[in-house]
Amino acid sequence: MAKGPTFAEQLERLEAIVRRLESQELDLDEALKLFEEGVQRLRAMRERLSSAEAKVKQVLSAEDLDE
Amino acid sequence: MGIGLDLFSAASAEGAWTVGELTRRAKAVIEARLEPLWVRGEVSGLKQYQSGHWYFTLRDKSAQVRCVMWAKHNQRLPTAPADGMQVFVFARPTFYEQKGEFRLTVVELLSTEAGGLWQLAFEKAKAALARDGLLDPARKRPLPAYAQRIAVITSADGAALHDIVAVVARRWPLAQLLVLPTRVQGEGAVAELCAAFTLLGRLRGLDVAIVGRGGGSKEDLWAFNSELVARAVAAAPVPVISAVGHETDVTLCDLVADLRAPTPSAAAAAATPDRDEVLEHLAHLGTRLARGLVSRVELAAQRIERTRERLSGVMSLRLERQRHQLAAASGRLDALSPLKILERGYSLARDARGRVLRRTEQFPAGLAFRLRVSDGEVPARVAES
Repeated sequence: MAKGPTFAEQLERLEAIVRRLESQELDLDEALKLFEEGVQRLRAMRERLSSAEAKVKQVLSAEDLDE
Repeated sequence: MGIGLDLFSAASAEGAWTVGELTRRAKAVIEARLEPLWVRGEVSGLKQYQSGHWYFTLRDKSAQVRCVMWAKHNQRLPTAPADGMQVFVFARPTFYEQKGEFRLTVVELLSTEAGGLWQLAFEKAKAALARDGLLDPARKRPLPAYAQRIAVITSADGAALHDIVAVVARRWPLAQLLVLPTRVQGEGAVAELCAAFTLLGRLRGLDVAIVGRGGGSKEDLWAFNSELVARAVAAAPVPVISAVGHETDVTLCDLVADLRAPTPSAAAAAATPDRDEVLEHLAHLGTRLARGLVSRVELAAQRIERTRERLSGVMSLRLERQRHQLAAASGRLDALSPLKILERGYSLARDARGRVLRRTEQFPAGLAFRLRVSDGEVPARVAES
C-alpha cells in the first residue's frame, strides 16, 4: 500500500489552494506559486485516478497486511 | 421384571413394593406404551439452567405436564419460548423417578405464533441492543468520502463478494479491498462472523467495512440476527455498511450498522465515490484555479494603474507648489532689484571706469562722473568751489 498522502488529503490540499487563490489576499508572486502547485497537484491526482487498479486481498490474520 | 403390572403381588401388605420398584415399573410401562408424539400446549415457568437444559410446564385449561428439553436439542433453537407462548412439542413421555413425576422429554419445539421463536429471539435481542443504546440513530457514523481501504466480511465464494469487487473496481479503483472470508450461514457462522470483526479491529488504515451476503431464507440469514454479531458490528472501529439478504428482511446487523444497503452492490457503491464524478470535480477545481490566478493578475494590473494615477497626482501637486515658490522668490528678487530702488528716486554715481562712488572724498572738485537714474544715465560734474 502506497505511503504518502491519501486521495482525500490530496484533494483537501488542492481545495485549500483554490480557496486561497480566490481570496486574493496574496501578492502576485505567491499567487503564481500557488497556481503552479495547484496545477501540479491536479495533474498528479488525475494520473492517480486514471492509472489505479483495484486490489483485492484475502486477509486471514492481521499479519497478512504487514508484508 | 415383566412390563405388565402384577396387581395381585402387591394386594397385601406383605407383598408391598418399594417406591423404587414402583417408579421403575411406572417408567417402563410409560415408555413402552406411549410412543414419542406431538403435544400442543402453553409454556409456563420455563427455567434455563447453567447446563443449557430447559425445564418448563406445558399446560392447557385443565391439565399440565412437566417437560425437559436437553441442551443438545434446544441449542438449535434461536431462543427459549416465552411464558404463555402456544407451542407444539415433539416429545418422548417418561417418568422421572427421583421426583415421582410424569414428564415429557422434548426433542423439538415449534411456536404456533406468527414468526415463532425466530421472531421472539429477534425481538429479545433487539430489545437488549436498544437498552444499550446500540440502535440509537445518533450512533451512526458518516461514511468516508474517498475510501482507500475497504474491508469486506462475507463468504469467499458468494455472489455478494463478486458483486462488491466488480462495483468497486468500476467506481473507485483507488481502493484496496481486504476480504475477511467467513461462513455466512449454518453452524459456526456466528462464531466466524464475530472472529472476522475481531480481526477487523486489528487492521490498520481501514476506512470502512462492508458485511453481508446475498438473499436466502429467514433461517439462512439467521447469523445476521445474532445479538453477538450485532454487537461486533457496533464495536467496529470504522463505519460498517450492512447488506444482508433481501430488502424486506431487516436483520439486527442492518439495524446496528452505520448504513443499511439493500444489496451488496449498493453497499459497494455507498462505500466509494464515482471516479467520473471525482474527475469532473477536479476539472472544476482546475477552472477555479485558473480563474483565481487571472483575477489575481487583473487585480495587480488595477493596482498598478491606481498607483500610477496617485503618483502623477502627487507630482503635479509638487510642481504647483514649486511654481508658487518660484513666483514668490521672483517677487522678492524684483523688490531687491536696483532698478526698483532707482525708481523710488535714488540714483547711482559711477566714475568713468564704472566704479560706484559712495563717499564724498571720491568726489574731488571738477570730477566728471555718470549718474544712473531710473530711466537712464546722465553725465555730471562736481562743481568747482
